[in-house]
Amino acid sequence: MSQKPKSNLELIKNGMFGENTIFRMAISLCPSIAVTNGMKNGVALGISVVFVQTMVNMTISLMRKFIHPKIRIPIFMLVIAGYVTIIDLLMATYARPIYKEIGLYIQIIVAFASIFARAEVFASKNKVWSSICDGFGMGLGFLLAMIVISFFRELLGKGALFGYPIVSGSPLLIMILPAGGFLAVGLLMGFFNWIDMRFFGGKGASGV
Amino acid sequence: MTGKDMIKITINLVVIYVIGGLIMAFVYAKTSPIMFVKAKEEKEAALKLMMPEADKIASLGAWEPHERHAEYYAALKCGELKTVSIKDEKTGAMKEEKECIDPQDIGYIVEGYGKGYSSFIHILASVDKEFVVKKISILAHGETPGLGDEIQKDYFLNQFEGKTVDTLEVIKGETPDKIQAITGATISSRAVTEDGVKNGVILLKEKLSKEVQG
Repeated sequence: MSQKPKSNLELIKNGMFGENTIFRMAISLCPSIAVTNGMKNGVALGISVVFVQTMVNMTISLMRKFIHPKIRIPIFMLVIAGYVTIIDLLMATYARPIYKEIGLYIQIIVAFASIFARAEVFASKNKVWSSICDGFGMGLGFLLAMIVISFFRELLGKGALFGYPIVSGSPLLIMILPAGGFLAVGLLMGFFNWIDMRFFGGKGASGV
Repeated sequence: MTGKDMIKITINLVVIYVIGGLIMAFVYAKTSPIMFVKAKEEKEAALKLMMPEADKIASLGAWEPHERHAEYYAALKCGELKTVSIKDEKTGAMKEEKECIDPQDIGYIVEGYGKGYSSFIHILASVDKEFVVKKISILAHGETPGLGDEIQKDYFLNQFEGKTVDTLEVIKGETPDKIQAITGATISSRAVTEDGVKNGVILLKEKLSKEVQG
């Protein structure tokens, strides 16, 4: 982490690009591979993460002076699980059609390393407003990664986008299978690192 | 760790977990009755959809495919629908209710589960009096998105109309009288067809022909 405090806009940008959860930090890969075989799923999970990440960062930041450092981890877990449970219950009650589609992904968020990591690294040490911006940026970065990965996987694997067929047949069936998820994430991660090194003078993921 | 730390840690954990627990309990208490009612309504609507021409759907009994609770129903068509006015005892308002006279079985509906690739697929199937499948629908499943979830698509579901116990069989590739497997999702197709619907129809046959004889 840099020593100089960053402005809120910089924090959001940092979450989206500089420390992008998937492409730069390489965390939360498991759920992201599981759901990115269609754009609809990817976007739904991305939006849920934006919300949970922002709320968790805000709550942890509000409580940061009260939490004893030795027991911060069980407390982070409770806050994350609490938000996920509440959203899960509310959606199951008041938004049943959407819940049927993305209910599974809401519950998956409990196991997200990225949310936990930001609570630990950022929200527990910074002011509320900065933490909200950081969480929002991290969430957006995750959403962005979901969109890019699921775009390629659905297009190549099913020849469709958002469930609407673009080309007939299934051109590369492997892309929507789990193996294709690893391929897509690996290749895209390499591609973004190459862009960063080639055009922005970055050091790649290992240098972050 | 000093004594002061220990006290602080205890207070920390107790306060935060109690607050968290209370919030979750409150949300659960508020939402669960509504959720229950909505789930019931959805099931009734799904049953009605299986047999739109029926006036009434009555449960006949339950069975346990894959150790899960499932029911089977008779779809009834009324010989005559009589509208009667009933006085509601609480409010005193007059309420109209339909009374079913001389109901006739026009078919049966069975709820079932099929063991799929990554989940148990929850299925409803309706048959006519000769146990020929009329319609099936998938209530819930957790199959692979993009592959196994094709079982919900109409092109797969529509194949079931007119199938009997003998023709409920999955074939890879084109088939004139059986069920064609979904490309890349043979296990899910089999689960729906053979484990779910076929077993359901067999159950209906067993239970109902016994009733007729006895």
